[in-house]
Amino acid sequence: MVMFELPNIDVPMYVFLCVFGAYMLFYVIYSLFNIYHLIRYGIYGFGLYLIVTIFTGGTILLVAGSMFLLLDYDWTLPLSLNDATEFYNEDLFPGL
Amino acid sequence: MMRLDHLPNQRPNEHVVLFLRRQWFALLTIVCASVLLAGVPLAAGWYFWEILRSWLDHPVIGPLLVILGSMYFLSIWLFAFLEFTDYYLDTWIITNERIINIEQEGLFHRTASELDLAAVQDTTAEIRGILQTLFTYGQVYVQTAGEKGRFHFKNIDNPEQVKEIVSRLVEEDKRLLSAAGHVSRGKVKRDL
Repeated sequence: MVMFELPNIDVPMYVFLCVFGAYMLFYVIYSLFNIYHLIRYGIYGFGLYLIVTIFTGGTILLVAGSMFLLLDYDWTLPLSLNDATEFYNEDLFPGL
Repeated sequence: MMRLDHLPNQRPNEHVVLFLRRQWFALLTIVCASVLLAGVPLAAGWYFWEILRSWLDHPVIGPLLVILGSMYFLSIWLFAFLEFTDYYLDTWIITNERIINIEQEGLFHRTASELDLAAVQDTTAEIRGILQTLFTYGQVYVQTAGEKGRFHFKNIDNPEQVKEIVSRLVEEDKRLLSAAGHVSRGKVKRDL
């Protein structure tokens, strides 16, 4: 019987931050394009500036909230695929 | 940025009579969808707070959950903004000389068309269904004389009243043109 041993691959946790960063880049580009559309083709008035301000304010709040929560984690922690099962913790599903 | 007191290709003595957007009900749909999409996971998180807290304390699941949650809520915010932009940029401007129809279809397709009032043959108002009857909104179709296409004012407030105003303006414009001996100039359409 031939036994296969999977190579131990360690993925640092900050890889997920890179994914989040890529998403944020898409978000910013799409938002700027949308704001450009509103300002370029919208009807001049106070409402236009109000909407852009509300959207920008909401985005800042959401990103700041995310950053606040994300700061507490250790992003240098290596995530080993072989040890993935070790992350299982019975406390995660106390109801089960 | 467009100004209502300075329309594109504005003619002498031309002034805006009506400026229309879809009724506020369209805006309410966007708000309700966004609140529902954001509210359901928030309510679930509040109800299962003990489980959620243990997940957030986990060194691997915690950050993943925060990242996914952030992406989810930011997507809802962006979706609401995109839908609002679509609502905000869909406009119909009725002047004493023409009708300007500006439609935004997604972010990358925008159509602006204009129609001389003298070319209008028929105007139809339509209120269909319980919601449209209750909130007095609906469709107005403006049919031109020589074209198959027609202008469609979608889900606007008080369609009957708008139809009356358009009909009155068309009559006035035709009367003025016939007095001046003009021929109707037809419809001009351009894609932006």
